Amino acid sequence: MGRYHYVFPQWTNKLVVLLVLGMAVAPIYVVFVVAYGFSPDTTWVGYKPEQPVPFSHKLHVGQLGMDCRYCHTTVEHAAHAAVPPTQTCMNCHTQILPESDKLLPVWDSYETGEPIEWIKVHNSADYAYFDHSAHIQAGVSCVSCHGRVDRMEVVYQAESHSMAWCLECHRNPEPHLRAPDKVFDLGWTFEGSSQEKDDYHAYWRDANRIQPGQDCSVCHR
Amino acid sequence: MSRNQSQLPRPFVYAGMILLVLAMIPPAVIAYARATHSPLPRIQLQQDMGVQNRFDTQQANPMFRDGRAMRPRVSGTVARGHLREDEHYYDGIVGDDWADTIPIQIEVDRAFLERGRERYDIFCAICHGVAGFGDGMVHERAQELVESGRHGTVWVPPTSMHTREVREKPIGELFHVITHGARNMAGYASQIPVEDRWAIAAYVQAMQISQHADEEGDS
Ligand code: HEC
Ligand code: HEC
Ligand code: HEC
Ligand code: HEC
Ligand code: HEC
Ligand code: HEC
Repeated sequence: MGRYHYVFPQWTNKLVVLLVLGMAVAPIYVVFVVAYGFSPDTTWVGYKPEQPVPFSHKLHVGQLGMDCRYCHTTVEHAAHAAVPPTQTCMNCHTQILPESDKLLPVWDSYETGEPIEWIKVHNSADYAYFDHSAHIQAGVSCVSCHGRVDRMEVVYQAESHSMAWCLECHRNPEPHLRAPDKVFDLGWTFEGSSQEKDDYHAYWRDANRIQPGQDCSVCHR
Repeated sequence: MSRNQSQLPRPFVYAGMILLVLAMIPPAVIAYARATHSPLPRIQLQQDMGVQNRFDTQQANPMFRDGRAMRPRVSGTVARGHLREDEHYYDGIVGDDWADTIPIQIEVDRAFLERGRERYDIFCAICHGVAGFGDGMVHERAQELVESGRHGTVWVPPTSMHTREVREKPIGELFHVITHGARNMAGYASQIPVEDRWAIAAYVQAMQISQHADEEGDS
């Protein structure tokens, strides 16, 4: 027995192999966890705050067929897409379901003049400049950046809105370009062969002479 | 004994297995976070200057009683260059009567009527219907709600654009209805700029003519 005290037992050979293997795998593992775990695709996408009024885009847009611009009136000509004031809801809701409990905060706001405190879902960093009108005029649909809002009961963030994401499209905007009358039609897809599809997108790029900037000063001004 | 020597001692085996299981937790959490929606605030690893000490458009500011950071215009005041003296353009009135022409500062061409059609489809068609017969989706739905009596819905049907009464309205009166509403219909001054309201009024008249082309011809 005694002579084994000074010799590593045989199983340490296995342990060494396992440890080396582990040391090789660990960095890959850590890189994977950091890359996927800390990416905005994980930390930002899917943010779905609870709103003060259970307003449903699925109902108002998907079922009633309302146009985005009925409520988000500034989206075509301003940087900011305005969230509608209470009066806009009251165009209909003074008569439609006026006694619904779900609309109580809307009535409060209507009577006191204090705005409904909608929770902001999408929020770019303050040092980045974004302009809705530039994108809408260029023929980029809401769906490219906000997902199928017309199917959302509650709005959530569908795209990462990180700098890498902005740049991905600025480098190759073509697949996102459409005719002006299709921009607000979130369910629209091109029907035809893939060649025709490419031609369609290329046509709208040429027609509007689309050349999105990639210089830092385009978005950091 | 020799068999035992070549085999890892139990504690190592257990430790290794526990480590492996623990290592699966972060990827599982990540996969879960990617696949689901959550009302928890978004995670911002580095704040940088992403949230600056300023107020953005439509943000809340507790300093004011109504909580708005954007201050509404003081009532009874007019911004420079925004005095609305032109009664024809802003009210649809000429002299003491409704205007029956489009104000001269507007250029009436094909694009203007196209604009009118587009704006009508956005703001009016949901109630009045695409062709103006008062059969929009919101009307249909509201009608069902009235029948089921849910939550006190009362609904006056949107007027058809093709009744004699509406067809006889001068364009200035149509403009006025869009701006200030009429009885149960709300006004759209805050949602539609002045020129677009004229475009809609012109389009409504074009629509009336197209639906009654035969009658006009007959009489
Ligand atoms: C009936 C009015 C109405 C219509 C029509 C409407 N919206 Fe909205 N929208 C709202 C309101 C109110 C909110 C704020 C509450 C919320 O987030 O649900 C909102 C919020 C949003 C947001 C999230 C804003 C944020 O905080 O980041 C997006 C994106 C959006 N709307 C897109 C659209 C799109 C795209 C359409 C057209 C397909 C559309 N909306 C049509 C009323 C409307
Ligand atoms: C053009 C008309 C119209 C406008 C504008 C409108 N709504 Fe509605 N809304 C409806 C109709 C119609 C229904 C009922 C649909 C149904 O029950 O099938 C409805 C239903 C709702 C409901 C569900 C109520 C319940 O008890 O089920 C809520 C909440 C609501 N709307 C909130 C809003 C808010 C907030 C706004 C303003 C941003 C708004 N609506 C603007 C037409 C409108
Ligand atoms: C090119 C991408 C892009 C397109 C296209 C786009 N949006 Fe946005 N939207 C954004 C970004 C980015 C923000 C966040 C802006 C911010 O926080 O300053 C945003 C914010 C919003 C907001 C919230 C504004 C606020 O501050 O509360 C609304 C509402 C909205 N978008 C509606 C729309 C509608 C409606 C359309 C289609 C007509 C549309 N967006 C098209 C990228 C886009
Ligand atoms: C789906 C495609 C797409 C995405 C995503 C996108 N952009 Fe753009 N962006 C465009 C197009 C197309 C233009 C128009 C270029 C032109 O007119 O030549 C544009 C133009 C711009 C402009 C120039 C506006 C001006 O005033 O000249 C800015 C600023 C901008 N984008 C910022 C952003 C930011 C910030 C993001 C990310 C939050 C973003 N964009 C995401 C397609 C996109
Ligand atoms: C298409 C628009 C766009 C362009 C072009 C652009 N950025 Fe950005 N950048 C963004 C947006 C949007 C963010 C904010 C993302 C967020 O919300 O965290 C950002 C964030 C950043 C950040 C902070 C990153 C972080 O995670 O802390 C740095 C640094 C930066 N940009 C540098 C640059 C430099 C340098 C260039 C030029 C090579 C550049 N950007 C070009 C849109 C752009
Ligand atoms: C929310 C539904 C709704 C929308 C949207 C709407 N209307 Fe109306 N409209 C009505 C109702 C309801 C009436 C009937 C009011 C009454 O008789 O009490 C009406 C009446 C009218 C009348 C007849 C007025 C009179 O004096 O007899 C005209 C003209 C009219 N609307 C035009 C428009 C135009 C143009 C638009 C688009 C800018 C529009 N409406 C949008 C609901 C709506």
